[in-house]
Amino acid sequence: MTQLDTFIEKLLKAAAEAGIDPAEVYCAERSAFSAEAMEGNIESYEVSETCALGLRGMVGGKTGYASTEAFDDEAIRMLVRGVQESAALVEAEEQDEIYAGDPDYPAMETPENDLDEVTPEEKLQFALAMEKSARAADARITKSNGSYVATGRGTLRLVNSYGLNLKTETPPGGYAVAGIWLIGKDGDSTVTGGNSEAGRKFRALDPAAIGKKAAEETTARLNASPVESGVYRAVIRRDAMKSLLRTFAGIFSAENAQKKMSLLEGREGEAIAAPCVTLMDDPLLPGGFASAAFDGEGSASRTKAVIENGVLKTLLHSRKTARKAGTESTGNAQRSVSSPVTVAPTNFFFRPGEKDLDGLLADMGEGLLITELGGLHAGANPVSGDFSLIAKGFRVKDGKQGAPVEQVTIAGNFYQLLKDIRAVGSDLEFKGSGIGSPSVDAGTIHVAGK
Amino acid sequence: MLDRNIAAEVLARAVKTGGDFAEIFLEDSVRTNIALKSDRIESLGTSRMHGAGIRVFEGTKAIYVFTNDTSREGLLDCAAQAAAAVRSGSGCTPVGFSHWSAARAEEIRILPGDAAAARKAEKLRAANAAARAVSPEIVQVNCNYGDVVQDVLICNTEGVFVTDRRVRTRMRVAAVASDGKENQTGTSSPGASMGFEIFEERIDPEACGKTAAEKAVTMLHADPCPAGVFPVVIDGGFGGVIFHEACGHSLEATSVAYGVSEFSGKLGQQIAASCVTAVDDGTIPGEWGSIHIDDEGMPASRLTLIENGILVNYMIDKLGGRRMNMAPTGSGRRESYQWAPTSRMRNTYIAAGTDDEAEMIATMGTGLYAKSMGGGSVNPATGEFNFSVEEGYWVEDGKILRPVRGASLIGKGGEVLMRIDRVGKTMTMAQGMCGSASGSIPVNVGQPMIRISHMTVGGK
Repeated sequence: MTQLDTFIEKLLKAAAEAGIDPAEVYCAERSAFSAEAMEGNIESYEVSETCALGLRGMVGGKTGYASTEAFDDEAIRMLVRGVQESAALVEAEEQDEIYAGDPDYPAMETPENDLDEVTPEEKLQFALAMEKSARAADARITKSNGSYVATGRGTLRLVNSYGLNLKTETPPGGYAVAGIWLIGKDGDSTVTGGNSEAGRKFRALDPAAIGKKAAEETTARLNASPVESGVYRAVIRRDAMKSLLRTFAGIFSAENAQKKMSLLEGREGEAIAAPCVTLMDDPLLPGGFASAAFDGEGSASRTKAVIENGVLKTLLHSRKTARKAGTESTGNAQRSVSSPVTVAPTNFFFRPGEKDLDGLLADMGEGLLITELGGLHAGANPVSGDFSLIAKGFRVKDGKQGAPVEQVTIAGNFYQLLKDIRAVGSDLEFKGSGIGSPSVDAGTIHVAGK
Repeated sequence: MLDRNIAAEVLARAVKTGGDFAEIFLEDSVRTNIALKSDRIESLGTSRMHGAGIRVFEGTKAIYVFTNDTSREGLLDCAAQAAAAVRSGSGCTPVGFSHWSAARAEEIRILPGDAAAARKAEKLRAANAAARAVSPEIVQVNCNYGDVVQDVLICNTEGVFVTDRRVRTRMRVAAVASDGKENQTGTSSPGASMGFEIFEERIDPEACGKTAAEKAVTMLHADPCPAGVFPVVIDGGFGGVIFHEACGHSLEATSVAYGVSEFSGKLGQQIAASCVTAVDDGTIPGEWGSIHIDDEGMPASRLTLIENGILVNYMIDKLGGRRMNMAPTGSGRRESYQWAPTSRMRNTYIAAGTDDEAEMIATMGTGLYAKSMGGGSVNPATGEFNFSVEEGYWVEDGKILRPVRGASLIGKGGEVLMRIDRVGKTMTMAQGMCGSASGSIPVNVGQPMIRISHMTVGGK
């Protein structure tokens, strides 16, 4: 028995003695490594080992929460007292449920990985190699703005007084991410750009290819200029579309819908998107960065379409939101050690279509290709769906990518965008995140420029 | 929090392989968060963070190792891991500690732990009721209360051994107005480096709820903002986010040290219109972004960044100082022990000027009056910034005509600072959380009302 096992056992015993029944422990252990090179030197090197634990429990039918990063007897007293105080204060109509668990859980395969074999020195050399490749690719790359490597592993445990005892690696097999940011200059034009790749096998990542692609992305942006303000046809590239989906993912949460924070309440069965749109939530995706056998409440994970051929099939539910809506949990309860159970997607992505990005541009003919969106934390309103965001991209003429565009904003509404999508591309990409998207032909958008 | 002999032993272990500086940052903090939604107290969470970060320098290379295990063995293990990453340092001889406490207990009248959770919840109920009373169109109000007591110990091989206690309290109201088809939100989120006495001295929960709800209702009835290039007047308070994004981040050593910032190498040069003086002040008592010492153990300072348009200072942390060969300015900050510190802002504002606020709008012609700003972001290498307008009004012929929504402002920092042509007489500040390389930290932004002759306004 590890020290942590002993702590959990003592804590659940203390909780029961204090009248906290049922009680549940949620515990996250993480180890991480990262390093960054700048201009041929390793400039930062970071290693960490952390463990945090949360106690959730019911007192008199009300739920309380408390969490800690210290693991002594004082921490046990603080957690028990914290849950009691919390349960005494809350008055929410719907209480959390501590769940005895499902009869079966999907078997998760651990993807092949080499994270325990790779030495720190190999990772440092990798960061330096990305830089070297990027600098060699084009003389207009004048500076590296950071070449980084990050790897890590994590374990989640959920143990409760009903005897449920679940453990999973998050993500299965750990993660390795490597990327580089660059500055390019040509005359008066200064631009930044970058590229990153992620996976489970560090040695399968190619530093030269990552650096070269970063240089291409950067130099393509040189001498960009705004377009005239107006309404444009637009294709949104996979990376920019992924950032929009991430920002507006909350509209698919039943919790938000029930609290009037989403306009999708009660609209299951309605067409809310173009027929070419299918939106998946798949916690069982092999190699997915948000893959897990169970969710934050201990429900077994399952794959589902949220939108299928344009029709809203389901919102994302926890046990709490499902009970209120008279339906079943979709296995989308999410929690952290220190915050209450909420609802969130797992591996969440638009199902890819037939055409690649070139095909989408060819079909559009004239317009804009949007490759980057900024200010999403402020310029996008996840409640109204409105967005007005700084954007970068390229002009598109005769179906081909043309001169770069910067210093423009695009404005629209995410609910409307879902309906306006004319085609979904084949180039689905996740890059180290649970959220992914292919490029989409977004119809028309409002652009502010010159 | 940590025995001095153990601290000395850990630092000595950290520099054993040639590191030329080592530091321990030890933290124990307790946070309370209370949330009210749908008219009910939905959750109360208490969380304790506990851990330490050990940092070792080898020239301008920084090694950082952090852990929850703050026992002697845990810290020695961290120090050994950090030391193992040093390749060929010049080494250093640790200096004996001179111990002091930066905490100012007298500043806090009611420690968060001394106020019962029920009293804190009452403040949320008051804000919620005031927000809902504004209009039947208010369909949801989310109110949050948060406080933190962060105890830290910072010691290093240069003899620093200092403890501090940081206390902060904040409330946030987000009101949603809806007509059934569309939703709009309005927010208000005041805070300070204070305990529960904040509700006697600074925050009126009713006013906070009312402000958020009125913004939401106003925006529900607003037309989309026209898009194009226009003159823009930005009000005081959170309007100061424009300076924070357009200039502040680009004056941090984080980007200046590598020559990456558009303002690198421009000390003594004009980078803003001559009506602009800007300050980063960590010393204002009780303010949200104020600090007694920074997270490297250096006392807070007041730093003039721009004086009448001329760049006079950068914000510099210890490592940035080494890279720039300049002295640190007490600007080293971090979210927690889980982040290595870097140069960050504190209370950053454009100082009061001499222009008349009414004249500013009356003579602007056609453009946007941004009464309340949302957040933004910047790319310091190019100066490209963006931020959103939470509450905006369309102005024609110098007259405020109607509310407009969905506006965002973009530009390049160096250009927009030169285009400020009016600076009003009354400076006010507002609170925000700033996210950057060392995590999310509390900062104030501020300014008087200002006018920018022309900038790109995003809308429809």
